Amino acid sequence: MTGLRRWSAALLLLFSAGVLAQGVTLPEVTRVELDNGVVLVLLEKPDVPLIGVEASIRGGAITDPEGRGGMADLLAGLLEKGAGERSAAEFAEAVDSVGGTLSASAGLESITISGEFLARDADLMIELLVDMLRSPTLDDQEVQKLRDRSIDLLRAAKDTNLRLLTPVYGNGFLFDDHLYGNPVFGSEASLAQISPSDVRGYYQDYFGGDRLVISIAGEFESVAMLAKLHAAFSDWPAATAPLPTIAAPEPVTGRRVLLVDKPGAAQSYFWIGNVGVSRSFESRAELNIANSIFGEQFTSMLMDELRTRSGLTYGARSSLVRHSMGGSLAILSYTKTESTVEAIDLALSLLAKLRAEGIADERITSGKNYILGQFAPRLETAEQLAGLFATLETYGLDETYINNYGDAVAGAGGEAINAVIKAVYPEPDNLVFAIIGDAELIREHVAKYGSITEIAITEPRFRP
Amino acid sequence: MALFAELRRRNVFKVALLYAVASWLVLWFIDHTGEVLGLPGATELFLILLLLIGAPVALCFAWTYEITPSGLRKAADVEQTQSIVYKTGQKLNAAVAVLLVLGVLAVAGEGLLPKFEFLVPGIPQGDAPASEKTPAEIRSLTLANGLKIIVWPDHDIPNVVMYNYVRAGGRNEHPGITGLSHFFEHMMFLGTENLAPGEFDRTMEAAGGANNAYTSNDITAYLDWFPRSALDVIFEIEADRFENLQTYAESVEDERKVVFSERRSSIDDNNFRKLYEQMRATAFVAHPYQFPVIGWPSDIEAWTEQDFAGYYRTYYAPNNRTIIFTGDVTPVEIFELADEHFAAIPAQDPPPPVRTIEPEQQGVRRIIVEADAQTPMLHLAFHAGAATAPETQPLNLLLNILVGGESSRLHRMLVENEQLVIDVGGFQDEGFDPGLAYFYLTLPPGGDPALVERRMLEELQRVATEGVTAAELAKARNIVLADFWRGLATIDGKASALGQFEVYLGDYERLFDLPADVEAITIDELRDAAAQVFRVSNMTVGLLRAPQETEE
Repeated sequence: MTGLRRWSAALLLLFSAGVLAQGVTLPEVTRVELDNGVVLVLLEKPDVPLIGVEASIRGGAITDPEGRGGMADLLAGLLEKGAGERSAAEFAEAVDSVGGTLSASAGLESITISGEFLARDADLMIELLVDMLRSPTLDDQEVQKLRDRSIDLLRAAKDTNLRLLTPVYGNGFLFDDHLYGNPVFGSEASLAQISPSDVRGYYQDYFGGDRLVISIAGEFESVAMLAKLHAAFSDWPAATAPLPTIAAPEPVTGRRVLLVDKPGAAQSYFWIGNVGVSRSFESRAELNIANSIFGEQFTSMLMDELRTRSGLTYGARSSLVRHSMGGSLAILSYTKTESTVEAIDLALSLLAKLRAEGIADERITSGKNYILGQFAPRLETAEQLAGLFATLETYGLDETYINNYGDAVAGAGGEAINAVIKAVYPEPDNLVFAIIGDAELIREHVAKYGSITEIAITEPRFRP
Repeated sequence: MALFAELRRRNVFKVALLYAVASWLVLWFIDHTGEVLGLPGATELFLILLLLIGAPVALCFAWTYEITPSGLRKAADVEQTQSIVYKTGQKLNAAVAVLLVLGVLAVAGEGLLPKFEFLVPGIPQGDAPASEKTPAEIRSLTLANGLKIIVWPDHDIPNVVMYNYVRAGGRNEHPGITGLSHFFEHMMFLGTENLAPGEFDRTMEAAGGANNAYTSNDITAYLDWFPRSALDVIFEIEADRFENLQTYAESVEDERKVVFSERRSSIDDNNFRKLYEQMRATAFVAHPYQFPVIGWPSDIEAWTEQDFAGYYRTYYAPNNRTIIFTGDVTPVEIFELADEHFAAIPAQDPPPPVRTIEPEQQGVRRIIVEADAQTPMLHLAFHAGAATAPETQPLNLLLNILVGGESSRLHRMLVENEQLVIDVGGFQDEGFDPGLAYFYLTLPPGGDPALVERRMLEELQRVATEGVTAAELAKARNIVLADFWRGLATIDGKASALGQFEVYLGDYERLFDLPADVEAITIDELRDAAAQVFRVSNMTVGLLRAPQETEE
């Protein structure tokens, strides 16, 4: 009845403050924890004949051995290069022959395998997933090949994608010796140190049932799927190496600048940040509203000033990276070489303004509506839901993380939001800068931001 | 308790019940017939308020007055023994029962009978699909001004996607205005007669919506993703910018700088795109597919307001656009809103046709681009067909076999077995006019581009003479089929798929023929397509590498 909705909309307008709350309530799932610690999450979602799966092994780049940065990510890539009875070529053929996807990658705190396939191919694809986790081949030739190729792909990225590289340099420089500074892909130099036997040893140490979460959503029968996964994983012993204990990272005081020299660059690409918050930060809704308005929406403060009003850049944003014990908060943008200082100064003045003035109520309502209006499509498909449930398990969160979020956003008050801004956004005097650009042309000018450490982009590492 | 008993005796409760049932019935009736009767939209709200105010009045009346054989008298004046409140009560019960039956019949009938909306004059129902393969709930409608609208309802999440396609892109440009289509995409966010620069986005985001846009060689597409609650707002601001766009000189100058920044980061500081731009400019000598979509730098600096005005009138006219809606909507409500907001925008003469046909290439073309590079790149381009060409689908399957995924022929050969390259990929233009089949390869530092080119040509020629295996064809079909389903798993994917087929192939329903079409393609067709396209005389080769001191 469209009419009834119209009435409620009219009444809502009469009585509400204008927030059109649309939270998401997660569907009921089947969650089973096996004796060896394996967690299985199953969700039947039969609207499209597809299945999405995500397997997650806690660990990730924070467990990269000293001097072997990129180990977790290299291993993730190698899980597809031969497993069970199949060679690398046979494995790829099996996945592609049914039009499926099954790919592994590392994050800082986990290795994840994500897959999506037609429901009719579930038997084959689950078998491949089990083989990847439990019996990857890791033979010498494949390890060397992927390692060498990964090194060259990092070089290629430095030729083509500077926008994506600033956070790698920035987080490395910010976190310094803390494990959260580990570049997930390692570096050309650290990858070169990894031998095939290193990889096999790492797999033995860090893979096991106690660290595994498998989340699967789509068109299948839970009972049969559960039996299949139980049979495959219930006898997997625990990993032998303990996970590192991570201390909450301490914010940096003062300013320092990493200048990455890319001779001939047409623009300067910058990252300005400090330590932020963890994934379980309790005022998540307030912080997300603030950050959306400061630097995520198209009409954010950063976009308004750096793009719309001044034409200095095509894009400017504020990014929150959240790990289990902490994270980073950074402003990212780029501008032509000549306006490097103008753009950075403007970004810094906006950060100062945000901290000093907070955000006005009217703007807050808009930010809330934007977050809520864009929330549901992020959890639309089986693959998205599988990914979400795996993430919740990996970080020890439950369904209230999503189910309570809509109300928390709708109910967040202006004072609380402005208090979170003061607590979380760094003071302009305490900042770490990472700038990729033509050093000869900008070195002198960016010296005013702090003491400069300089490296060439062709240096085979991301940290000085 | 005495008050309660007296309230009951005086039938106040029964009157309240009767009042409630009658109010609901009145509102239900107005809700379902208001449009037929031509009542203004605020009637319902007005009635609600009226009925709310009336409620206490009715109850006071019921308390105060009593119906007696001699007429209406004050209850206080009626002798208890002569009171017929009991009989009045029975009549009230009967009235409630009758109204309830009417209400139940009406509500039950609503499901069985065609909706009253069918009776509303001026709101077309749209055309149902012609093919049985097409989901039956899709509707399409072409307004009198030529604007075609397609709606695919899907109520899984309370959100809506709107794709607005404009048939204007790089192919409609000429030297002097290259990049204008793309710049216009930016202009569409810069203000109208009613909305100041920036207000379009601010209004959309405040209603919970997000948007984006892109421009290609063929089209410009405007995409909105929003909660259902924002539907009216979206229609209002979308209709406004397609009818009342205004160029604010200052914003235009700032936006030129924005586009330059976009150009610098996505082309000048990006070796892949730097080579790609030069490849297109070389492969096409006549057809406007040679222009970079973002425009040549000198043109970005030089467009004038006159260029904008004529462009907007011609290309943004309703008869040159198609709009797709998917998500939590009904076709009728969309057509109703479209009638209200879009129908008045006048049609224009159709845009001038793109007359130039690229002449047959007479031999291999080679270019070198020098750039700061650790890893050299090699690109190969061959002239192929338009989206509608018969060889396009077979060639798509063939590209899947050659470069689709880790098990593809060229990946296995060049990346895994011979380790001559670190990456290989490819695609095909599927535009209005014949485009390119394109391969890109990244070499390791010090790699041998001549050897890579030779190995590529050997393999392409092998496909052209020997064809592919049945297993390879089956694999390619499965990949296309799985992609088809993945694409339809989201309302965004649905909108995109409908739009691609409607705009490029002229009929959205062909989307649903895809699985059967793909099944029907044969090995011979793949081999023939390869033989037709992968010829050396039809090829452009580009190498990007660091500057060398001595030229060979």
